[in-house]
Amino acid sequence: MKPFAWNYARPAESAPVIDQYSYDSTLQLNVLPDGRPAILDRALLAAVGTTTSTAGSATHFDD
Amino acid sequence: MTVLILTCEQDVTADMVVAQLHRRGAPLVRFDPGDLPGEGALSAEYVRGEFRGYLSTGGRVVSMDGLRSIWVRRPGEPAAHAPEPSPWLSAETGQALYGMLDCTAARWMNERGAAARARLKPWQLRTAHHSGFPVPATVVTTYPRVAQQFADQYRHVVVKAVSGRPPGDPPMALPTTLVPSDADFSEVAAGPTLLQRYIAKSADIRLTAVGEELFAARKTAEPGQVDGRFGDTGHTWEPVEPPARVRRAVARYMELARLAYGAFDFAEDAEGTWWFLECNQGGQFGFIELETEQPIADAVAGWLAAPGETG
Repeated sequence: MKPFAWNYARPAESAPVIDQYSYDSTLQLNVLPDGRPAILDRALLAAVGTTTSTAGSATHFDD
Repeated sequence: MTVLILTCEQDVTADMVVAQLHRRGAPLVRFDPGDLPGEGALSAEYVRGEFRGYLSTGGRVVSMDGLRSIWVRRPGEPAAHAPEPSPWLSAETGQALYGMLDCTAARWMNERGAAARARLKPWQLRTAHHSGFPVPATVVTTYPRVAQQFADQYRHVVVKAVSGRPPGDPPMALPTTLVPSDADFSEVAAGPTLLQRYIAKSADIRLTAVGEELFAARKTAEPGQVDGRFGDTGHTWEPVEPPARVRRAVARYMELARLAYGAFDFAEDAEGTWWFLECNQGGQFGFIELETEQPIADAVAGWLAAPGETG
């Protein structure tokens, strides 16, 4: 018998593939290919959903 | 004095705060416990009543007594990136790292013991009630009969995960969902089930508390919409001023929970009442800042960089 709540589970959206930016250990933040901080590209952040509540839930349950 | 940020490299929400700390000229070290041992290293020694130690990563070294504050953001599992990871190595590494950090005088966002308790949903609901929030009737039970009675009493109830953790493999999501009127509750016996009276909402409210600073945002809900995190309704988050009563309740909740940071979720009903749903001690704020331009990351940076009681 499965837990009751599982009747309402649905497949999670797959995590977006993030290859538009990479971590810079000198700056201690992620940067775009041109070296600018990734957070300056707000359209990109919104598109990959990196900072949204459900995206975080994929790896951390307390979003 | 240095700010220590415990998070993974992929965390761009942390980037928002790192950028603000850079702007302030505040020294920081970003450290992923998953990189320990390996890219990260630590050493601490207890000699004649003194406990001293340091952490290093990426060529940076910070001493325990040089820590101003610690932000527990999205830390990896200790030793997760070790060449031969194991539950034993994670336990050993976690004990060493957090045991060492607990010996410092740094301010925590959030203190780990408080964070662990604040994750407990039944505790959240009781604390919310004592703080002055309206809280929807809720039951957590393994008795099918109790669940059935609750559903009969309130007619429209939702089910949600007690822990918030999604079911396992393959990856699944568990949105808060309206339970059909003809539901069979026999499977409630298979696991604690949280049912809550459904609040017909006109909007979702996300209120982010950073120390004493509050940032509230409102997103209009579609008729019948249950979980605002799922499904694009075309509405966006807009800044909203929290009522004075809510401000007082938030302050009380943060005090009772001993939290420096909390992300509150409310359902706003047709009368404008904000019903407490949960307070997530590690809740995301990046998506709110992106849409509302509320300076939440700057507030977090300000809290972390502030001198505090320990200077």
